[in-house]
Amino acid sequence: MSTFDATAGRSGAAKRRFGYEERSALLFLLPVMTVLMAVAVFPILYSLYLSFFDVKLTRPNRTPFVWFDNYIDVFETPLFWTSVLRTVSFTVISVAAVTVIALLVSLLLNEKFRGRRLLSTVLLIPWAIPYVADALMWKWIYDSGYGALNGLLHQLGFIDKYVVWLGDQNKTIWLIANAFVWKEVPLAAILLLVTLKAIPEDLYQAAKVDGATVWRRFIHITLPSMRPGFMLVLVYETMVAIRHFDLFFVLTEGGPGDASHTLSWHIYVETFRSLSFGAGAAMSYILALITFALAYFIIRTVGRVN
Amino acid sequence: MVSHGKPSWLASKLGRREFLKATAFAGAAAVGAPRLFGAARAAEPLTMQTWSAAVDVVKSHLAAFEKKTGVHVDYGNAPWAQYRETMVTKFAGGAPVDMLWVSDAWLPEWAEAGWIAPIDGYDFLMQYNADVVQFCTDSMTYNGRQYGLTYYTDFMGFLYDADKLAAAGFSAPPKSWDEVVEQSLVMKQKRIAEFPMMLSMAQESWLIEFMSALTFSHGGRFTDADGKAIMQHAKDGAVSALQWVVDAVRKHEIVSPACVETGELAGLKAVSAGNHAFALLPKYRLRVLNDPAQSKVAGKIKQALMPMGPNGSHATVGWMRFHGMTAQSARDKARADETARLIEWFGGKADGQYTFQKLVFLDAGSDFAVKPLYQDPDVQAAYAKFADFNMIQQQQTLARQKDVIKPWFGEWSEVNGAAWQAAILGNVTPEAALDQSAKSWMKLKSRA
Repeated sequence: MSTFDATAGRSGAAKRRFGYEERSALLFLLPVMTVLMAVAVFPILYSLYLSFFDVKLTRPNRTPFVWFDNYIDVFETPLFWTSVLRTVSFTVISVAAVTVIALLVSLLLNEKFRGRRLLSTVLLIPWAIPYVADALMWKWIYDSGYGALNGLLHQLGFIDKYVVWLGDQNKTIWLIANAFVWKEVPLAAILLLVTLKAIPEDLYQAAKVDGATVWRRFIHITLPSMRPGFMLVLVYETMVAIRHFDLFFVLTEGGPGDASHTLSWHIYVETFRSLSFGAGAAMSYILALITFALAYFIIRTVGRVN
Repeated sequence: MVSHGKPSWLASKLGRREFLKATAFAGAAAVGAPRLFGAARAAEPLTMQTWSAAVDVVKSHLAAFEKKTGVHVDYGNAPWAQYRETMVTKFAGGAPVDMLWVSDAWLPEWAEAGWIAPIDGYDFLMQYNADVVQFCTDSMTYNGRQYGLTYYTDFMGFLYDADKLAAAGFSAPPKSWDEVVEQSLVMKQKRIAEFPMMLSMAQESWLIEFMSALTFSHGGRFTDADGKAIMQHAKDGAVSALQWVVDAVRKHEIVSPACVETGELAGLKAVSAGNHAFALLPKYRLRVLNDPAQSKVAGKIKQALMPMGPNGSHATVGWMRFHGMTAQSARDKARADETARLIEWFGGKADGQYTFQKLVFLDAGSDFAVKPLYQDPDVQAAYAKFADFNMIQQQQTLARQKDVIKPWFGEWSEVNGAAWQAAILGNVTPEAALDQSAKSWMKLKSRA
């Protein structure tokens, strides 16, 4: 084929790729793409730009370009490593609990029994409650002076005097994780239930013929078949937990001391209390990279199909 | 009306003349718009921004100002907890604000950033200083310039439940922090209160006021006259004050370990529920605590002088909130003059009287900084219902300005609050906690 012919061929291919329909589609997509550029892409790129400057709102006339100093400062701050530790603790506790409880709930909802639909509806209520309302409810429950938890335990005779809950640094992360799990289990259970319903009944019939017990059917058929559901739940819940903010804001404000000082709280304090937008942007990028790396790791391991 | 399936405005035909008229009008509007807009800008109302307190009183007083002067004022407010962030965002974004409420804690930060302007160029405003308590004028002054007129002032008070004290067999409230421990232990023993002393040590904006009251009364300071950190010093720093708190929680168990999650408002509720015998609370809370409609211990809550530490005194911390002017307003002479009149209406006299200060006091019990009001019969009658007037005046003379009010106060406060909580939780010693706090102070100071 001659050079002329080759060029003509490429031009023809381009025309085929961007024919009338493609051009029309692009035209229709343009408004949405413009809006997305304005509200998503531009802020993301601008925050990356900000992360290389020492931007402090209370010092509006001095915003020097500092290269990677904001990123280096983050890693040199002991409180950052404390917040990483707290975030890891919270994420591991929460995601493990959500996954296990959601699995049990989905197994229950997969069975046929009277009142199953009502139970399914009731189970969705926590999911429908906004996080701030959820946090305020748990704040009342956990209150050491007049909280429902103390009242209940006292009336049942489990405690002889009121216990400090959120103010006790050894309990704080566990209690916040409990509030998180309560809210997140319904969605995770629904996701797992969908996977559960997709398992062919033939597999169980064949296993029964082979004499497999309920436990062996669960281990060898149910669990492996639910791998896509587990991957979805693990990725989603890890991403939600690692970035979670609302419960920490309402329940403890990062305290007591630094007992619930997670990464998202650290970013909030740096950005909106210290008003250091440059450092806050740098931390946000670090958190985004961590989240991305974790999601990638989970997809590569749990999502791998043998 | 719909014709042939189309809306009527689509169905009617636009004639050539109508089209030309409409085009001409649009063109004229486009040419004239900037002028019209300019004229509108000149007649723009003033903007007043406050935190969400005494909202009805502010609105009614504002209405009186508008009626008297013909100047329209747009009023907005934001919750106290988010006020600083809200205002900083407004400043950074160039939102229109002329007059605003300012806390003494933010004065250096906002003045250094060039967001608020001094008002000392207006002699008719400065004349009010003669009527104002000196520490209040000092609290509105930064680098020799005065930035406002007083809104309200108060100090941290040591309050006690007279009935619980009598039940424990004591005839007088504690004069020292050691006596607080002594009397509290007796109350615990007699099961009068599980945690006789109420302290609010949650990480919130009130925390520095509680810490300062404890530190000053122990004879300590956070910084010296040059602004260098001395909080970590054993004798003249904050160590003995923090040690007292740590002992009260962990050793004597007279303060609840939940104090690290108890904010000022939650503390107030606990005291009004009758759970405690002693409390550190802003003095103006006496009104709520002695109001039968709001408190179970109404009529029993009294004020004593702040207990003193071994090397201390009855000193306490005082604070100031004031009416200020934005730099944005000050740049426009006409607006600045109107804003100054608005500041006078609220922070000075309105029609020859300190009307606003009196209204706010009678409505919410928020104390004023203008001395002549102490002679007002209505004010004296109101005080008599819930407080000892002489005790208030005696303690007010011992109130001191916070010594950590610098442009970096907000950032340092986060570190300092966490350090105090870490010591209370037993994670670090008071010395180590305050050493960390002092290092943070010096680091921020060197960056400023």
